[in-house]
Amino acid sequence: MAMVVDYQHDLSFPYWTSTRRRFDPDSPFFSSGNIERELLAKQVALDLTEDERNQLEKMVAKDARGVFCPIVGCGARLISLEDFEDHYNARHTASCSVCSRVYPTSHLLSIHVSEAHDSFFQAKVARGYAVYECLVEGCGLKFKSYKGRQQHLVDKHKFPTSFEFFKKALPSKKQRQKNHRKQAMHKKDEEASSKMEVENETMDGLVSAVSKLSTSDSSPSTVSFGRRHTRGLTFVPRSVQHEKRADFRLAGAKR
Amino acid sequence: MADDSAASHRRDPIKSSVGNVAAQRRRQNAVTVGKERRESLVRAKRLCRVGPSADGDVPVEGNDMITDEEEFLLEAQTSSAVEDLKSTVAYQGKGAMQKRVNALRELRRLLSKSEFPPIEAALKAGAIPLLVQCLSFGSQDEQLLEAAWCLTNIAAGKPEETKALLPALPLLIAHLGEKSSLPVAEQCAWALGNVAGEGEELRNVLLSQGALPPLARMMLPNKGSTVRTAAWALSNLIKGPDPKAATELIRVDGVLDAILRHLRKSDEELATEVAWVVVYLSALSNFATGVLVKTDVLHLLVERLATSNSLQLLIPVLRSLGNLVAGDSHTTSTILVPGLEITDGVIKVLVKCLKSEHRVLKKEASWVLSNIAAGSVEHKQLIYSSEAVPLLLHLLSTAPFDIRKEVAYVLGNLCVAPTGGDGKPNLIQEHLVSLVQRGCLSGFIDLVRSADVEAARLGLQFMELVLRGMPSGEGPKLVEREDGIDAMERYQFHENEDLRNMANGLVDKYFGEDYGVDE
Repeated sequence: MAMVVDYQHDLSFPYWTSTRRRFDPDSPFFSSGNIERELLAKQVALDLTEDERNQLEKMVAKDARGVFCPIVGCGARLISLEDFEDHYNARHTASCSVCSRVYPTSHLLSIHVSEAHDSFFQAKVARGYAVYECLVEGCGLKFKSYKGRQQHLVDKHKFPTSFEFFKKALPSKKQRQKNHRKQAMHKKDEEASSKMEVENETMDGLVSAVSKLSTSDSSPSTVSFGRRHTRGLTFVPRSVQHEKRADFRLAGAKR
Repeated sequence: MADDSAASHRRDPIKSSVGNVAAQRRRQNAVTVGKERRESLVRAKRLCRVGPSADGDVPVEGNDMITDEEEFLLEAQTSSAVEDLKSTVAYQGKGAMQKRVNALRELRRLLSKSEFPPIEAALKAGAIPLLVQCLSFGSQDEQLLEAAWCLTNIAAGKPEETKALLPALPLLIAHLGEKSSLPVAEQCAWALGNVAGEGEELRNVLLSQGALPPLARMMLPNKGSTVRTAAWALSNLIKGPDPKAATELIRVDGVLDAILRHLRKSDEELATEVAWVVVYLSALSNFATGVLVKTDVLHLLVERLATSNSLQLLIPVLRSLGNLVAGDSHTTSTILVPGLEITDGVIKVLVKCLKSEHRVLKKEASWVLSNIAAGSVEHKQLIYSSEAVPLLLHLLSTAPFDIRKEVAYVLGNLCVAPTGGDGKPNLIQEHLVSLVQRGCLSGFIDLVRSADVEAARLGLQFMELVLRGMPSGEGPKLVEREDGIDAMERYQFHENEDLRNMANGLVDKYFGEDYGVDE
């Protein structure tokens, strides 16, 4: 017996609603079926081989499915949706060697490194220099405070007010356990560096940086291009998963 | 005349050049031909290369990668054939009709030889007015047939070429009448089918000239190639986007009955074309849908889906079913009631389609299931406990993107109760927990990572269900384990504001400061 549960919540999230979906006959949703119809109808007359047909289908599908990278400022044209993941991993996963945060461009990464890990940067801030750069490439404006820059992003570049460039790190469970262990051992180090402590940096972040230096696990090396939580081949490229026919050739489908 | 063409073929080997230049040109040809070929293959138009009565004619040539020389020759022959036709049309003396038929036949052969008939050459030489004259009332059947055949193939090409048939349309429509011989009517229907397949503009012209009623009547007999051609032509004629034609068609006396009869008893080829008519009727006309669901059409569609293995037939039958379910809530709420035999039958054939190796079937079957799953709680329970779920779970992690998206809709719909009047989203925890335990979460998180906005939205919405609805606050941990946080953090720099807000909102709410504090 299914249990229907009621929850209280705020209504700003567009929740999943189960509704019927109808499509017009000329909707792109039906185009692969329509193409199949025409190819099959002419197949007999033209004596197309299975191979030729597959090739044609792929060509037609490709023309239709070109997509653009949706990361701000990128706009790279991708051949197909399947290519997006590879493109993203190649271009948008610059990760910080100190704290493992991941950024979609090297520009943002370098801003992060200055602001979060550079003591000279903090010194300049303290002396009143305008060193917080605007995040939008080509703007060039600089600000004296994090909040000042934040306001500029919202006012000038229409960033959402909830946007936080420097978000709190969310360490993995393994990381957190390690942190709790190391915390006891490295308390002294933390006290020493607390004077140079960067705005909002968590203890965990510093500890994880230190622990990286001493342990020999499979952490990513310096400027790595990959996810924080490496798990070997978590990601099978989409191109491999294409058209997995072998599994489903069951009796029902045979002609 | 047949001898001439044979002789000209014998001349060719001397002309075919040796060496790089020719090879290069042939390759270039292949590329342009490749593109042209692709376009011609996916058109809704069909070339007629074999006549209604296989009359021992010159056999149709196979794969044609014709050289420039051959093409030039064909065009020259075509122009000259049109010239011949011109003189025979003018000629009034003895044996005029036979001469005319011979000239038409020659032109027809030239227009039927290859995949890319010399349409342009024919038009340039002025074929259309001559062919129109050959269609005049009182002409012999043979003449009408050959003329209509020529027009059929002229209309099978590019848009401007098809449009050139405008002057011939009234006559072609007229010869659909019940007084015409069947082969003639069929050939005219074929030509009109190609014209209708061109686009909305020409369809409207045909409809206003009254093409629909006679074509509809041609669908009424029990069998024959004429019935099939007429059904195909009708499917092109009513495909809209204006629903008027579809509504008009279902109202023609005897049409509904004929459609059901063909779906029930006819051979697969005929049933295929009739099924396409049903596709357009159900997609465009609410009136037609209403009429159809009052018959036993669903039962007939299920029968066909269960017994056939012809992809050509399965596609339109499945889609018709899908359209009938999607177009009217009445279908799911009063006909496909859980517990009834028909409902079990529908689920069963949809499962069969999910098991198929064909992409289109898997995708559209998932779509139909998602609409049934958008019904009552009983519908969701029915699907949840059926063979569909293990198949869907597998597809979610292995199938191509477009299938995975549809599968996501099914699974998500199973986890959410019907939207109540006050719009509060309640979930069906039993289904959610089970599906998540069976590993569907990573599939949804993959969708969050895709560049497709709709898919990403689905993924985020499902993640919200998991975060909110998994018991004992397990949700966040599960999401984290599948790298869901990573996936959501990508959206910080994403250009779509809605998605950014959705992702940020979830991260802020469920992975805020106190996350993971008490281990």
